[in-house]
Amino acid sequence: MDHLAQFIVAGLTTGSIYALIALGFCVIHNATGIVNFAQGDFISLGGLVIFTLLMGLKIPLIIAFPLSVIAVTIVGALLERVAIRPARSRSIVILVFITIGASIFMRGVFKILWGKNQMGLPPFSGETPINFAGATLMPQNLWIFGITLISVIGLHFFFNRTRLGKAMRATACNPRAASLMGVNVNSMVLLSFALSGALGAIAGIIIVPITTLSFDIGVMLGLKGFAAAVLGGYGNSLGAVLGGLLLGVLESVGAGVISSTYKDVIAFGILLLVLFIKPSGLLGRGDTERL
Amino acid sequence: MRIRLSGVKSHLGLVILAVFIVLFPLALSNPYYLNVANIIGINTIIVVGLTLLIGYAGQVSLGHAAFYGIGAYTSAILTVTYGFNPWLALVLAALVTGSIAFIIGTPTLKLHGHYLVMATLGFNLIANIIIVQCDSVTGGPSGFPGVPPLAIGSWVFDSDIKMYCLIWSMAFIGIVLGLNLSMSRVGRGLRALHSGESAANCMGVPASKYKVKMFVLSAVFASVAGSLYAHYLSFVSPKTFDIFFSVELVTMVIVGGMGSIWGGLFGSAFLTSLPNVLSSFDEYKDIFYGFILVVILIFTPEGFIPGILQKLDFYLKEKGQRNKKRIDDSSEEPGLNSVSGIPLADSCSSKRLEASNDIILGINNISKSFGGIAAASSLTFDVQKGSITSLIGPNGAGKTTTINLIYGVYKPNLGTIIFRNNRINGLYPYQIAAMGMARTFQNLQIFDNITVLENVMVGAHAISHNEFFVSMLHPPSYWKEEKLIREKALEALSFFGLEKEADLPACQLSFGEQKRLEMARAIVSEPELILLDEPVAGLNRAESITIAGLIMKIRSRGATVLLVEHDINVVMSISDKVVVLNYGTMIAEGTPIQIQKNELVLSAYLGGSL
Repeated sequence: MDHLAQFIVAGLTTGSIYALIALGFCVIHNATGIVNFAQGDFISLGGLVIFTLLMGLKIPLIIAFPLSVIAVTIVGALLERVAIRPARSRSIVILVFITIGASIFMRGVFKILWGKNQMGLPPFSGETPINFAGATLMPQNLWIFGITLISVIGLHFFFNRTRLGKAMRATACNPRAASLMGVNVNSMVLLSFALSGALGAIAGIIIVPITTLSFDIGVMLGLKGFAAAVLGGYGNSLGAVLGGLLLGVLESVGAGVISSTYKDVIAFGILLLVLFIKPSGLLGRGDTERL
Repeated sequence: MRIRLSGVKSHLGLVILAVFIVLFPLALSNPYYLNVANIIGINTIIVVGLTLLIGYAGQVSLGHAAFYGIGAYTSAILTVTYGFNPWLALVLAALVTGSIAFIIGTPTLKLHGHYLVMATLGFNLIANIIIVQCDSVTGGPSGFPGVPPLAIGSWVFDSDIKMYCLIWSMAFIGIVLGLNLSMSRVGRGLRALHSGESAANCMGVPASKYKVKMFVLSAVFASVAGSLYAHYLSFVSPKTFDIFFSVELVTMVIVGGMGSIWGGLFGSAFLTSLPNVLSSFDEYKDIFYGFILVVILIFTPEGFIPGILQKLDFYLKEKGQRNKKRIDDSSEEPGLNSVSGIPLADSCSSKRLEASNDIILGINNISKSFGGIAAASSLTFDVQKGSITSLIGPNGAGKTTTINLIYGVYKPNLGTIIFRNNRINGLYPYQIAAMGMARTFQNLQIFDNITVLENVMVGAHAISHNEFFVSMLHPPSYWKEEKLIREKALEALSFFGLEKEADLPACQLSFGEQKRLEMARAIVSEPELILLDEPVAGLNRAESITIAGLIMKIRSRGATVLLVEHDINVVMSISDKVVVLNYGTMIAEGTPIQIQKNELVLSAYLGGSL
């Protein structure tokens, strides 16, 4: 177990990404009850757009980063406006499968625009390793921790301290009551997709330098983020962050101890275990039906 | 009539399908299409099972590609590596797959909500990785070659056309079994569960058992399809069974229309052939596929087939029927005149003789708290056989909680509940229903996805016995029971003056009609004890009097009634005994007259000034 510290660092890094993705799932779930299977494509798109901006157009990172986030945010909002809103009165299962259709569609578009080749991006700031508590940290790891932390704090502030955030939470609790109190439920749902788009984009942008980029990079990441959200208690934001970090660490340590070929088996094995033992997740609550 | 019509419709559909299956290969010019037809047939077998799971049990599985794969690989490995007979391998594969589905389904389907989706999604990903990694057994990523064709004696299914006959015979059988199940007692119970799980449970439909059985059955369908696939292509590859295929299978069900077997057939034909049609678009294929999927889901959310059928139905029948009904409604309220004239006080005095001293329900010292709030504390009272006993009290007194405790919806923290000399606390509602208890609900719990008659037939679930196998095969004994239940249900409906509405969708009934439907659903099983939770709440005076009369008629049929009600006039005029609750404790019990004079009740319940 010499490398335990290293595994934990690696796990926390991917875990941070999972946390961001899981948060994206939560935001949409809370506003609409939908599991958004296009979440993974937000991640892909974030990575692909920043790749084009940095490598193709040579735009500096400090401008390319927000531009990419804005681009995916717009795509998220478009998805809601074009595909979800016309079908809002339908059952949840239909809406979930609309997001699946949209995901297939988006992936098709990405494949044509960016091709099937694998791409790479350099880290944000050099590759000088830093030694910390027996583990080697790359600067990109720090970027990932930092940006995730800022996003989580920002999101927390938004939901608890701003009028808009509170309106969104009210919509999540009871859309009908919220609309009677003057909240525009449609814009809240639109906002939730936009916000998920932004979160997905951030996850995609920060992970690209430590992995290879392709048009479907977000598919597996999206599924892992989903597992993280379930692990934390689906719909619970704090749970999403916890679930993400925990899943990342368990997966990384497990892969290190057993074999990296079974990395995904470990991640989804944890998902099954949670569902069998404590299906409401670490922080979730079961709901009751009134007769 | 509606049921019989739909029966005829599906028989006609089966004949047309059979003719189509026979004629299709004759009309073919290009043998490649036979191959596509075979894959459609295989997918159809999976989709029929999945349609039953999604449309009837209301559970989505993203693991059916894995079940399909386990069926295919088990058949391949058993026949090639171990030299098993292919048919034996097919059966063993189905057993293995069914067992795995049972292990996954049992813990996840106990819970409300969509936990099965998550579990099956994880399972499919894991199964796929394991198939790829265990290359010494499965052939790994490059696949498993050399699976022998199926054979009956010396007749070997070694060509496309021979496999076409086999695959489509199996698909046809699958469709027949699926249709049978969907129209049976089990299908009704499942649809009721889908609409209102707790309520269906209280009618005697065992929710998690039924869901698990349905899930296992659908996994077995997928496994059989997988075995056919392996023997047909003689080669299996892990890519065929990844999570994306699971998603595609569910998409077939949804595009065709959830809950319609015919829709599933359409969905599987449409989505299996779509990539072939789109292949000329080459790299734009995915974009078109995704686009078509989204458009279909947005514009025909019920799916193609049910959407079309519904529209046809509406124009042909519903319109006329509903118009007629409206006229009937305005002219007279059925069943109302027959009893509304009864002077309640008179019948009150005569009925007291009927109540015996036998205790049918004994509540002994039960307590229940939610968090820090004691909704019931140390409640003790009896219900005499043949009596009408009322439970009254201000809002929040714990009346409905008591009903839910008796019916097993909540488990008491302390105390015992004895029903017909058996201790029933700790039992599930569906078990209590089977012991001869029935109930209605304070918040209406009508199954709005089925007809009025079917609602009442679900009410008879606890006293009928047709289970999964019988429901799929429809032997004579099945029809005998169905006929009996239907007659009982019609009788119960006419008791409450709803016989004309029998074939309407339950959601079309008015509030008052729905209340009566709930009561009809409760009496159809001829229970010993009926719990009525606020049967007249929200009704006007005349309707209340009608219901009060009907409650007495229920009792004269031999049932005991435990009534929760706010309407004091109704309670005082029909009850033998009144139990008064306040803040979860019993403050008085006695005859209506004693209660009306009780000081405690006057101050606590009716307000001190009276």
